[in-house]
Amino acid sequence: MKRLTLKLTVSAACLALAFVSFNCKDTLTDTPSDTFNRKAMLENVADNIIIPSFAELQTKVNALNSAVNAFVQTPNETTLQASRAAWEEAYLSWQYASGFNFGPAQTSIGTLFQRAGIFPVNASQIESFVASRTFNNDLSRDTRGFNAIEYLLYDAVSVSEVLGKFSNQNRRDYLLTITAELKATVDTVVNGWQSYRAEFVSNVGTDIGSSTSILFNEFVMDFESIKNFKLGVPLGRRPGQTQPEPARVEAFYSGKSIRLMREHLKAVEELYYGIGRNGVDGVGFVEYLQSVPNGRALIEQTEAQLAVVKTRLNALPSDARLSELIVSNFALVDALHTELQRHTRFFKSEMASLLSLTITFSSGDGD
Amino acid sequence: MFRVVFGLVMLVSVVRFWLLGWIEDQYISPVFHFKYYGFEWVEPLNAVEMYLIFLVMGISALGIMLGAFYRLSSIVFFLAFTYVELLDKAYYLNHYYFVSITAFLLTLVPAHRYFSVDVWRNPELECAEVPRWTIDLFKLQLAIVYIFAGIAKINSEWLLNAMPLRLWLRAQDALPLIGWAMPYDLTAYLFSWAGMLYDCTIVFFLMWKPTRALAYLAVIGFHVITGMMFPIGVFPIVMIGATTIFFSENFHKKTIDLLRSAFGKIFPKPLATSTLKLYTTRFQPILLGVLLIHFVLQLLIPFRFLLYPQNEWWNPTEFFWNEQGYRFSWRVMLVEKAGTAIFYVKDTQTGREGVVDNREFLNPTQEKQMSFQPDMILEFAHFLKRHYAAKGVHNPEVRAEVYATMNGRLGKLLIDPSVNLANEREGFHDKSWILPFHEQPALSKVKE
Repeated sequence: MKRLTLKLTVSAACLALAFVSFNCKDTLTDTPSDTFNRKAMLENVADNIIIPSFAELQTKVNALNSAVNAFVQTPNETTLQASRAAWEEAYLSWQYASGFNFGPAQTSIGTLFQRAGIFPVNASQIESFVASRTFNNDLSRDTRGFNAIEYLLYDAVSVSEVLGKFSNQNRRDYLLTITAELKATVDTVVNGWQSYRAEFVSNVGTDIGSSTSILFNEFVMDFESIKNFKLGVPLGRRPGQTQPEPARVEAFYSGKSIRLMREHLKAVEELYYGIGRNGVDGVGFVEYLQSVPNGRALIEQTEAQLAVVKTRLNALPSDARLSELIVSNFALVDALHTELQRHTRFFKSEMASLLSLTITFSSGDGD
Repeated sequence: MFRVVFGLVMLVSVVRFWLLGWIEDQYISPVFHFKYYGFEWVEPLNAVEMYLIFLVMGISALGIMLGAFYRLSSIVFFLAFTYVELLDKAYYLNHYYFVSITAFLLTLVPAHRYFSVDVWRNPELECAEVPRWTIDLFKLQLAIVYIFAGIAKINSEWLLNAMPLRLWLRAQDALPLIGWAMPYDLTAYLFSWAGMLYDCTIVFFLMWKPTRALAYLAVIGFHVITGMMFPIGVFPIVMIGATTIFFSENFHKKTIDLLRSAFGKIFPKPLATSTLKLYTTRFQPILLGVLLIHFVLQLLIPFRFLLYPQNEWWNPTEFFWNEQGYRFSWRVMLVEKAGTAIFYVKDTQTGREGVVDNREFLNPTQEKQMSFQPDMILEFAHFLKRHYAAKGVHNPEVRAEVYATMNGRLGKLLIDPSVNLANEREGFHDKSWILPFHEQPALSKVKE
C-alpha cells in the first residue's frame, strides 16, 4: 500500500509538471489581458488606509480621553464643550475605521464595532448602571462605546442640565470608565496591527479566509450598515415596523448623524478606489476590477449609481438633525435609502462574482 | 475494497463536518430552511438529536468500512445522510447527491461477503465471487456522473467563452507551480476543453485495461488540481476513492492482502479460494428490477430541462438563468452566478411597505444561494408571508427585486419585481414570473 501511495504521489507530481510545461509552451506568445497584483492592493490598503485610519482614531480617542478626564475633574461649560468637540472629532475618524473588523479588531469578546460602534444606546440601562455603579457588564454592548459617551455628554437639552447631572460622582465615573475602555480597545487594535500587517499582506489568495476575501466582505458589510442601520431602521423600513423610529439614528443626542454619514460613505468610496488617507490614489478594488473581464463596464455602472447616491446624500442639509429630517421631510431621506439599496448589488453580488470572491459574513453585526 | 474506501471517506466527511461546526451553523442555528419540492415535510430535529444523527451516521459509515452489521449499517447510513441532505437545498451539492445514490446502491449489494467483520463473525457468509452486476452497477453510476458532467459542459458558454473558468481561474494566481498561468485567457480555454474531454471520456479509459493506470493518474491529477482551486470539500477524495472500482479483481485482492499483512493478525485469513462459494440471492430479479428503474431515471432526469420551451442545449443562457430542471443532473461548477435579492413586504391594509434584511433569517450560505435561484426566492417569499402575517402584517404582499449576474455579464433583473410572490405556486410548471434572460423590461416598475 505504501509503495502504491508513493507511486501515485510521484505520478501525480509528474502529471502536474507535464501540465505546467504544456501550459508553458502555449502561453509564451500570449499575454494576459491584464494581470493584477493582489499583494500590492493589500499593501496599499494596509499601509495607506487601514493603519493610518486606526492611528488617527487612536490619536483622537486619546484626545477624547484627556478631554473627558479634564471635564470630570472640573465639570464646567468649557470642559464639557471641549469633550463634546473631542468626541465629535473622534467619532468622525471612527467612520474610517468601522469597517475593518478583522485581525486584531476581532477578539473573543466581540469585534471592534460591537465594542465601540453600537447604536442606538439603551439609555435606561445606562442610567441604571450609573445608579448601581455597574461598570463592567460585558454583555450590554448598547451601554458603551462612542454612542454611550455621546449620550452622557449630550443627553439633556441645555448645557447647565448636563452639568447638573454630572454633579453625581457615579455618572462621572461611568463616563471615565467607558472612555478609558474605548481607549484601551482602540490601543489594542493599533498595537495588534503592528504584527498582523505582515500576515495580512502575505495572505494573497482569494479563498475564504484570505485577506482579500475578508477585506471585501467587511467592505460590503460596512456599506450595508449605512443603508440598514443608519437609515433603514430609523426610517421604519423594516417589515413589521409600523412607523419611522427617528430616535434610532446614529448620534441621536448630538444630532451629528448627517455629517457622520457623509464621512462614512466617503470612507467606503476611498476604500473602493484605494485612495489613501493622505489622498494618494493607490491600488484598490477598482484596479482589481479593471483586470477582469467586464470589470470596466461594472465600474462604469457602479460609478454612475454612486453619483446618484452622493447627489441624494448631498441633498440632506448639513446642519439638520437626521431624526428631525425624517419627520419633516421623509421623502428626502427615504430617497437616499432607495438609492443605497439600488447600489448594493454593484458592491455585493456583481463585484463578488467578477472577482470570484465568496460572500461570507462571519457574524450579524449592528443593531 | 470499494466498501472500505467509501466507508472511510464518509467517516472522515462526517467528522470533518462536525469539527467545522457545520452541524450548528447549517442545521441548528438557521430559523428557516429551503425545502425540496415534495419534501417539505422533512424537518430538522433539535440540537441534541441532530448531533445524534451525525453520530449515528459516523458509526454506520464505520460499519460500512469494516463490513460490520453491513446491511443495517448501509441502510442506516443511507437514511441518515439522505435525511440531512433533504433538510435544506441551500447546501445542495452534486457530490452529496452522489453519496446518497451510492449509499442506496450499497444497500442492495453483498459488499460484506469478503474481508469484513461480518465474515469474521460468521465465516459462512464469505464468498469469493459475486455476480457481475453487483460491481458493474457502481461503474455505471460513475459513468453517468462523469459523462453527464461532460455533456453539460458541451455548450457555447463553456467551450466558446471559456466561462466561468475565465473568471474563476484568474483568482487562482496564487497557486504554487501553476499560479502564474492563471490570468491568461488561453489557460481558461485549455482547462475548459480539457475538463469537458476528461469528463466525457475518462470512464472509457478507466474501463479499458491498457489505459487504466494512466487514466487513474489523470483522475488523481484532475481532482487534486480542482480540489486545490475550488472550495469543493471532500469531493476530490470521494471521486479518487470511488473510481478504484474500475480496477481489476486482482488489484483489489492484492490491496486487501497488503492491508492484511500491514495490520498483521487483526484480520483472519480468508478460506482457501477453492472452498469459497459464489454469492447468489433469490431476490436477484427484484433487485435488478429496482436497478433498472433507478438507472432509467438517472438517464432521463438530467434531460428534463429541455421540457421547458425556452431552454436550449447549445446556448444555455436561458436555462442557466431560470434554472428550471437544473439540479440532480451532475452540472458541476458549471456557471458563475450571483445575485442581490431585496424583498419588500407590504401590509395590504395600511399600504405600508418594508424592506427585509435577509440575514435576520438566513445564514450567509443560504442568502447567497437563494439570491440567484428562483425556486428558493419563491420559497423565501412564502416564508416571509407566513412570518409577517403572524407578526400582524395584514395579508402580506411580497415582492422581490433581484439583480443577478451570470458568467461575468452585468446584472439583470431575474424575476418580475411587480409580482406578488406570496400568490405564486411552487412546482414543475414553467414560471412566468422568472424574467427571460434576453429581454429586459423598462426599469420604471422598480419601486418609486
